[in-house]
Amino acid sequence: MKRINLAPVSFLALFFGGLFFSKMSVIFVLNEVITRFIRDAVLVLALVLPIIAGMGINFAIVVGAMCAQAGILFIIIAQINGIAGFVSAAFLGIGFSAAVGYLVGRCLNRVKGKEMIATIVIGMLANGVYQLVFLVGYGTVIPAHNREILLSTGKGVRSMVDLADYRNILDRIWVVELGDVTIPVFMVLLVLAFCSVVAYFVNTRIGQQIKAVGQDTDTAEVLGIDVNRIRITVMILSLAIACLGQMIYLQNIGMFSVYTAHGNSDIISAAAILAGGATIKEARVRHVILGVFLFHSLFIVSPQAGQHIFGNAALGEYFRSFVAYATITVALILNLGTRTVPPMQTKVKDQ
Amino acid sequence: MTSVLRLERISKSFGPYRVLKSVDLVVDAGEIHGLVGENGSGKTTLLNIIMGHPAIQESGGYSGDILLDGRRVEMKSPQDAIQAGLGMVHQEFALLPGLTAAQNIKLGRENLHPFARRLLGESLAYVDRARDRAEAGAILRRLGIELDTSIKCGNLAVNLKQYVELAREIGRSGLRVLILDEPTAALDREDAHRLMPLIQKLACQGIGIIFVSHRLEEVLEICHRITVLRDGEVVADLDQGDGDLNLDAVARAMIGRSVVEMKRKGNSPVGTVFMKFQDFAVDMPGEMIRNFSLEISQGEILGVAGLSGHGKLALGYGLMGAYPTRGRVLVDDRELDNTCSSKVLAKDICFLPDERRCSGLLLDRSLVENIVFTAAQHKHKFLRLHLGPLSMINWKSSREYARRSVEWFGIRCRDVYQQVGQLSGGNQQKVCLARAVALEPRVLVVAEPTRGVDIGAREAIFEALLRINQERGTTIICVSSDLADLKQICDRIVVMYEGEVFAELSSHSQDVEFSLALGGKRLADNAAS
Amino acid sequence: MPLLKRNAPQFFVFFFLVAMAVATLFVGDMPLAGLVGDALVRLFMNGVMVLSLVPMLSAGVGVNYGLPIGLLAGLLGMCVAVNYRLGGIAGFAGAILVAVLIGLIFGYAYARVSRRVKGHEEITGLFVGCSAVFIMCFFWNVAPFTNPEMLWIIGGGGLRPTIGLESTFGKVLNDLGTFNVGGIQIPLAGLSFFGALCLLLSLYLHTRSGRAMAAVGESETFAFFSGINVGKYKTIAVVQSTVIAAVGICVYAQSYGFIELYNAPLMMAFPAASAILLGGSTGKRASVIHVLVGTSLFQTAYVFSGPLANSLLVPELSEILRVIISSSIILYALIYAGEGKSA
Repeated sequence: MKRINLAPVSFLALFFGGLFFSKMSVIFVLNEVITRFIRDAVLVLALVLPIIAGMGINFAIVVGAMCAQAGILFIIIAQINGIAGFVSAAFLGIGFSAAVGYLVGRCLNRVKGKEMIATIVIGMLANGVYQLVFLVGYGTVIPAHNREILLSTGKGVRSMVDLADYRNILDRIWVVELGDVTIPVFMVLLVLAFCSVVAYFVNTRIGQQIKAVGQDTDTAEVLGIDVNRIRITVMILSLAIACLGQMIYLQNIGMFSVYTAHGNSDIISAAAILAGGATIKEARVRHVILGVFLFHSLFIVSPQAGQHIFGNAALGEYFRSFVAYATITVALILNLGTRTVPPMQTKVKDQ
Repeated sequence: MTSVLRLERISKSFGPYRVLKSVDLVVDAGEIHGLVGENGSGKTTLLNIIMGHPAIQESGGYSGDILLDGRRVEMKSPQDAIQAGLGMVHQEFALLPGLTAAQNIKLGRENLHPFARRLLGESLAYVDRARDRAEAGAILRRLGIELDTSIKCGNLAVNLKQYVELAREIGRSGLRVLILDEPTAALDREDAHRLMPLIQKLACQGIGIIFVSHRLEEVLEICHRITVLRDGEVVADLDQGDGDLNLDAVARAMIGRSVVEMKRKGNSPVGTVFMKFQDFAVDMPGEMIRNFSLEISQGEILGVAGLSGHGKLALGYGLMGAYPTRGRVLVDDRELDNTCSSKVLAKDICFLPDERRCSGLLLDRSLVENIVFTAAQHKHKFLRLHLGPLSMINWKSSREYARRSVEWFGIRCRDVYQQVGQLSGGNQQKVCLARAVALEPRVLVVAEPTRGVDIGAREAIFEALLRINQERGTTIICVSSDLADLKQICDRIVVMYEGEVFAELSSHSQDVEFSLALGGKRLADNAAS
Repeated sequence: MPLLKRNAPQFFVFFFLVAMAVATLFVGDMPLAGLVGDALVRLFMNGVMVLSLVPMLSAGVGVNYGLPIGLLAGLLGMCVAVNYRLGGIAGFAGAILVAVLIGLIFGYAYARVSRRVKGHEEITGLFVGCSAVFIMCFFWNVAPFTNPEMLWIIGGGGLRPTIGLESTFGKVLNDLGTFNVGGIQIPLAGLSFFGALCLLLSLYLHTRSGRAMAAVGESETFAFFSGINVGKYKTIAVVQSTVIAAVGICVYAQSYGFIELYNAPLMMAFPAASAILLGGSTGKRASVIHVLVGTSLFQTAYVFSGPLANSLLVPELSEILRVIISSSIILYALIYAGEGKSA
């Protein structure tokens, strides 16, 4: 019954090919991958529940990321520093995520079957609103308490905000050097803790209901499960996890490009979880862990590989963008495709 | 005995269609109550109302009362019904294929680790899978089934799925009424026989059972009472005690009116045999034809009858190649190629499907467009600028033809530009016929031409079919679950049973012959037993 | 009430437009005539791309979020024309000819993929389009073009991200036959070209083949029993959409004056989609009227919001509003279509 999952295998092969041509040292790549792992894994984790709930890939995790950024920005505007600031930003961000997640969930309940395209459009819409609030609203509607982040025109937040206060606030806790490899043990444990919480959650009664909804909404409904409520819950959780993921991401980077930091997080995360062996209809926590490692190792080596093969690093960049989109495309075609298209399908139904 | 479930004056409409008309039904504790009726008689709607199916609320709810143990209850959602102690075994299985048998059986009632439960509450406590598996296995063993409950339901054989579905319902504490919707449809005879004592055992525990099946012999075997639905009304309530519970009575009640005025005046001169079905089989889910062999003569009107599930509907679909087929169909001694529906139409064979609204019409388009559509595509009629596929539709000749058709068929409409979706069912059917006639077909296959059509319009549709047959010499194959309809217009009627031609009768045959044939019995058998 | 609910986006954008026009009057020294002229140019410039969505919508394949595939064909066509230094009308015609030929090939390949994911054409098309954009990024980098105007000046290797068209066929349609009525510049050639394409497509939809395609879009089972090869007509629709999109980007680029390569086509499907949905298409059926109404409303709103944003000293505002409005329209259409289904 066990089939070999092709996605991780092919990513591994691509990675080794890339590693060979990039001529990068394994230690360097390993260090980079560990950094990427603690930086990105929680964001990817946010995709698990919606896939289990049958809503496909939740491209609206960018909205969760934006909630985190909004939280941080408001805390910076209020000028709360240090750990207290970081924690209150996280709480604020989760508050936003819960509210927005509820709205997104309501919305997706009305577009059953087209959730993925809807989440993409919701992401774009949220991006517009986010820009409207911080590029136009700050200094006009929102009083500009913090003049450091104000644009010179007197309206709008600057596109780059320094997060020196929060930089590596978590990463620095309990770092172990193993030869040349640096392991931020606390962060790795934190990420794994997040993973375990999600894995635990799937095995609770609610988790069972989420699974049931993901299998077949009609049947779940008939069996007495409140499908719409479950789907809204899943959306709220997904956005909240994404929000925390973005908080971790930003404190790791330490610089905050206000209007682009959330940019491609949806596509990269989606490609990562699929690389780990998840499908549009099935995902597990281990797909997240495996996927982040595989996808990001390929991501790290491909520009250098491009440089060495074609004498052009840009080709490597295009290659990795292509890989990200192509991974999703292939997953869509394989998972949503019907192998044999019958001439027609009508269901004979009693009235 | 006391009644557990009592339905009073249940009515339900979908838009303008009244599907249930003041239905009363009483189920006693420990009673097995049969519910039978043809396709479209309203059975499924009634069951959906009892179970609080979301489709009912979305289409405006129901009227009438549901009383459970004498108390009035409102079924607004499946949760309500399940809470109240109702359970249902679904015909198409309400199982989740990716969950294991144990997970399916214990869904919503999982065993929880007590520590986590105290700490985090019911919803967030960890599920105790080992105990779930053990308990699910125990319930299945009560049904006489030994099964590894960690197998995913999607991988189970059909008959095992049926038991898992049953196990989920009876594993529930506080079950008062169990609805079995076609529980034996997926089982072979042996398995079906094994199920009967289990159902009787459940009834002995004081659970009220509603048993729905197309296999009338089963219903007669185990039910204490039988309610027959037809066209949304209770037409018979037969009791074992009264001694009137027999196949003939039930079948007669199901198929309806027995006094019929023959429309077809005498047998029209039937021409030569030109079309032959040889071991024709259609793999249509739920309506499989196993073997259909028949010769059809030029200019006759052939009726195809049968209870639903016995394959009568699949004839037209199979002929057009909508589902995989085996065997041969010969037209003028040449084999019909049905790999592509246009090749069938090229042989002047036209099919009007039973799903009139979604497959027989373009509801958003006008009468003109509907009537000329197929002829323009296949006969190159109603075109100008003959440029192959780029020929323009000639709206002038189309309009004139549509007007003539409206007159010929007596279609009631504002004008020929009215949207077909706005017409009544009968007029929509006439538009379908007009579309078929524009093709000048040699063979016209119509499925359920009178379903969802009121009495007056029925007559008009028969007239139209007879006129098409008489004036144009079109051979008509009419598939219908309404036997009275077929008897009015057909030269001969074949009765399908379990996917095969069971009997060939004439419209002069006695009602009892028909009703027996529908249940797979012959007059002689009946007399012998 | 249902009218208001169904047409909420139209009402909203219309009032937005009126409000903007009024605001423009108050802000003062706004070149109203110039804005109207701009709106006309943007109508035909974007209109062809919006028009390209019609065949796929008619055939029930949904909104063509794989629009970039057609755009890439068009970009290739134009690059070939520029490479051979074809100027003026001949250059434009040459570009379109090559674009159409490549569009046929790309369209067929796209149709093959689309057929495999019945019912999920939109989301798959979106990602197929994005993947194609990045494959072509590779190609732009290594393609054997020789005209130095197209290549990086230093470092060799690969096409520039933007290629100027002033020496070849930039603005040929915009400038041809443009005349002035009461201060408003009317781009006659451009509007006629767009008009002719609209007319051709609407004539096609009235042919035997066009009717069959519409029937497939409305009810596949009806089409099947009427002897129509459902798959064939879906393929035709996808190829048509791709080819028209290829022509569309040629019209767009000549008006813009530059060919934009690399990531540029990535997100172009969304504004086009929102324009046709704004025009009143339900996402199930579409006509040329929807294209005309939608594109005019959408582009006029965009043109008018520009000066207003500038006067507020936030030049990004008009782009932000465009994103918000267009994604709201698509979302509304998705939700509305979902409601229609469940009822």
